[in-house]
Amino acid sequence: MNDASSPTPAIEVRGLAVAYGERRALDGVSLAVAPGAVVGLLGPNGCGKSTLLSAVAGLRTPIEGEVRLLGAPPSPQARARLGVVFQESCLDPLMTLHETLWLHGRLFGLGGAELRRRVDEALARFGLSARAGDRAGTLSGGLRRRLELARALLPSPSVLLLDEPTSGLDLDSRRAFWELLREANTSLTPGPPPSQRERGDRPVGVREQLAVLLATNDVLEAERECDAVAFLHHGRLVAQGTPAELKGGLRHDSVRVACADGRAEALSGAVAGWPDVGAVTRAGAVLHVTVDDASSFVPRLFQEGAGGIHTLQIEPSTLEDAYFQLAGASLREATEEVAP
Amino acid sequence: MSAVTTAFGAWGALLARDLRAFLRSRSQLSSSLAFPLMLLAVIGVGVSEGLEPERVRDGDYVTFLAPGVIVMTALFSSTFSSASFYQDRDSGMLRVFLVSPHPPAVILAGKSLGAIVIGSAQALAILAVAAAVPAIDLQWQYGVAPSLLLALAAVLLLNVLLSGLAQVLASRIRTMQGFHLVMNLVLFPLLFFSGAFFPLDDLPGWLYGLALVDPLTYAVDLLQLSLYAEDGSGHLGAGVDLAVLGGLAIALYGWGLRRRPTTE
Repeated sequence: MNDASSPTPAIEVRGLAVAYGERRALDGVSLAVAPGAVVGLLGPNGCGKSTLLSAVAGLRTPIEGEVRLLGAPPSPQARARLGVVFQESCLDPLMTLHETLWLHGRLFGLGGAELRRRVDEALARFGLSARAGDRAGTLSGGLRRRLELARALLPSPSVLLLDEPTSGLDLDSRRAFWELLREANTSLTPGPPPSQRERGDRPVGVREQLAVLLATNDVLEAERECDAVAFLHHGRLVAQGTPAELKGGLRHDSVRVACADGRAEALSGAVAGWPDVGAVTRAGAVLHVTVDDASSFVPRLFQEGAGGIHTLQIEPSTLEDAYFQLAGASLREATEEVAP
Repeated sequence: MSAVTTAFGAWGALLARDLRAFLRSRSQLSSSLAFPLMLLAVIGVGVSEGLEPERVRDGDYVTFLAPGVIVMTALFSSTFSSASFYQDRDSGMLRVFLVSPHPPAVILAGKSLGAIVIGSAQALAILAVAAAVPAIDLQWQYGVAPSLLLALAAVLLLNVLLSGLAQVLASRIRTMQGFHLVMNLVLFPLLFFSGAFFPLDDLPGWLYGLALVDPLTYAVDLLQLSLYAEDGSGHLGAGVDLAVLGGLAIALYGWGLRRRPTTE
């Protein structure tokens, strides 16, 4: 995610291990995020994403390895250029929006007219001016996230850590969150759309120097917003690269099949042996199959399934399929792995 | 901007936040003043009139009780305010503070300022009421201004000490319920043994011994010397009180700041 010709990484993690008691939540993780890049951490719940962000933010002390922020070990000076949006809402419900931003600015050494200007600008940019005097506890989930993003960006950080920032939000709020993040970075340099991005390209609208490390288990968000993605599994980094690179070896189509009771197991065993079939996973009565060509696979599936198929969904393969192929496990919990 | 300047800015901002929250909480504001005043009026007058105590000056238990009630007010107010640490941890605000460009000790110091200021202000409010009520016969044996300064020192040192104790406990106890339980378990006996409710002289040896190892004893003694007593007889002495209170306040507060706060 950072090659030899790149400038000093905004975030660099080398051989990082973090433990909770005897259990290693992270083990030997190394990655780098270049200035201006958006890098996603993808993995199921409990794989170590939040722990990695906590270690980068200085809230967790590694037992091995090191973290470097903007080329130096984490320090108060480095943290002055760090913004964080945590997974859970981290707001004082009794403070007003204005007070929330003002307090954060003071903690980051801002004051006087400069702080007033930044707070007013942030409230206006994030569409919160009309609610400036309201208490944070009265905001909807989407507005809370806006406020938290506004707070994180208030001191103009160079590094932004986002821990599942759109988790629990509806589609419109998710879209609004990312649009606001892009708009907040005003020195825009138009880049190619995500599907055509190459390694090192900036995503559209993200300020040149703002490095973003995003923890998510939303594959579409990762594909859409990230220059590069790292797959975490049981605290280890199993693969990293651009979304296109990670999906490079995949079969073209992804087919989800909802089966009648008792049919999924037999059907999964049967299709696993077919020549154009890649990964097959089963979660209860739902099969997930990656295939070269769904148009030839599906008719054969119906012949084999013979009335045991309730619904069927065909999509292009995603990072979720890539994760399964590279990590040997599913992003979704409670999934039975049938065949690699 | 230097680290010291930004640390002062952070302390000011954190203090302003806690004071604002306290002033907005009318129930906390009114009940924290009403309870000690009620204690003074009901228990003080009740004991004075009902039991007619001979061992306090002129049988005036209300005036005797005033320094103890000031200590009790500081004790409960400071403890209650220290619990905001748990509110900040549970709301996630503590994590937000800890990823700011300040060492954890600066954040903890800023957080404790609110408890110290609120606890001291409430204790001094009770002192102001006591001074204004004609039925409470304060002596001001060192003169009003020096006695007031000594009382202020007692209240401030006590709150710093309690804030340090609360921080030490909060870094070890996971839940607010557990914190309150332990604080009550610790603070009520400390209050009972401190001489807040009865004179220490002529106590049985075991009770006097317990009083001497109780830090609150020295706060009560200093307040009694500056507000209630006509002379120093039967007291530990202002110098001893200041030395013990100051030493314990510095030690406990320093220990509390060295604790790494838990965010989960």
